[in-house]
Amino acid sequence: MLHRRIYQFLMIYFIGLAVLMLVKYSLNLSDYTIPGVNEIWNTYRRYFGLYFIAVLNTMAVAILGHVLSICIATVVGIIGRLTVWIGSFIRVAAYNIQAYPIVAVAPIIFILLGDGLSSRLLIAAMICYFPLLLSFIGILSEPVAEIEHFFDSTRRMNWRLQVKIRAFENIHKLVTVIVGSATLAMVGTIVAEFIAANAGIGYSIRIALYQSDLSKILVALFLIGVCTSLYLVFLEWLGSFIKKRFGSV
Amino acid sequence: MLLELKELNYKYPGSVGDVFRDLSCRVTEPGFHALFGPSGVGKTTLAKIITGEIGGFAGEIATRGTEQVLYTFNLERLPGWYTIQEHLEEITPAANKEKIKELVESFGLQSCLHSRFAQLSLGQQNRTNLTRYLLQDFDLMIMDESLANVDELTKEKIILKIKALFPERCFLYISHNVVEVSKFCKQILVLRSHHKNPQAISLQGLDFREGRDLTKMELEQSMLEIVNAA
Repeated sequence: MLHRRIYQFLMIYFIGLAVLMLVKYSLNLSDYTIPGVNEIWNTYRRYFGLYFIAVLNTMAVAILGHVLSICIATVVGIIGRLTVWIGSFIRVAAYNIQAYPIVAVAPIIFILLGDGLSSRLLIAAMICYFPLLLSFIGILSEPVAEIEHFFDSTRRMNWRLQVKIRAFENIHKLVTVIVGSATLAMVGTIVAEFIAANAGIGYSIRIALYQSDLSKILVALFLIGVCTSLYLVFLEWLGSFIKKRFGSV
Repeated sequence: MLLELKELNYKYPGSVGDVFRDLSCRVTEPGFHALFGPSGVGKTTLAKIITGEIGGFAGEIATRGTEQVLYTFNLERLPGWYTIQEHLEEITPAANKEKIKELVESFGLQSCLHSRFAQLSLGQQNRTNLTRYLLQDFDLMIMDESLANVDELTKEKIILKIKALFPERCFLYISHNVVEVSKFCKQILVLRSHHKNPQAISLQGLDFREGRDLTKMELEQSMLEIVNAA
């Protein structure tokens, strides 16, 4: 799983790099526009430590935001599965709000909360929250009649059991959507840092952009890709462990 | 009278055709009875109307001494996080705990106790599902194809055990198997298409029990009656 993810990422990264080099040498572009391989390598050696710490910083926020959004999506999903008005209201609100681009709301968050950790965390959580919420609401609202019938007819059903049955029955879908939203959490954090934060790899990319230093951006992208792949591998491993342990449904 | 349906009329919301038109029938005494009829005639719908899972019908359902009605069908599953034993212990009321062992042994489920539901064969799954329902408190149990995928010998053993263990309870056994219906059931409610009048006919089954004799001719006669009625 690990080597497949890393291998896939490296393949895409180096294909991208090769295309850049092809453009550079075929159009005879200067090192200022697209740096040469030597310069990229030198930048990598010079900035690896600094950028690696920045990526870890970003990842920590992304993971925190991811966990936060999973918790909120679970709670809202549990309420959204209800057949009374509050459930319908939550479902309709979720479908409508998720259509609104969070990046457009991000400046308001920075104005209100400043450029610290809370803004980055909030934006990261919000970006991966809505896809999670829609899946959670869908999964938790869908009755599993073949299992629930017994508990309904013997009057043993309660909300905890209902949620447990539905989550357990859809454990494959839940794991898939959680793994999928991890990338969004990373994207959300980097976007937040890029817009206005004062730390993290998104912030470093913004500085590199001001300096028009493409080699720094390429190094940052490399580290982001490797670290995100590792996080996804960890989540996939966790998912397959859960499926193996509980997924014999 | 334990259960009486009077002039029941029902059609599914949005559908044109009736499922039941002036359907009347009654079950007067406890025992192992059958609800028999061709596919699509409305056996499951009738079962769900009796249990209250389906509403919006016209007519009357009268019950006496059948307040606790359970309906079980053959596609039910147990939660996957339990082994069969854990599940049975969890869901069995304290007063019925001593029946677990007896039912498990009679239904041939000893080897399944430490497995999870998904690891069982279809026949074992159906037997396990029926077992957990029999461990509940009930007055009337509707068994909708509950012994599907179970071999004939085991099926016979299970039905005879149910009749021996629960002589005062009422069972409505939904099946398409005319042999088992005529052989084991006391009263057979034959459900027919709503074009036929009456829509339900009540016949006497052979109500076979252990120690009783049953001739081939009796069985054939009973089966012929059921097939003709349907």
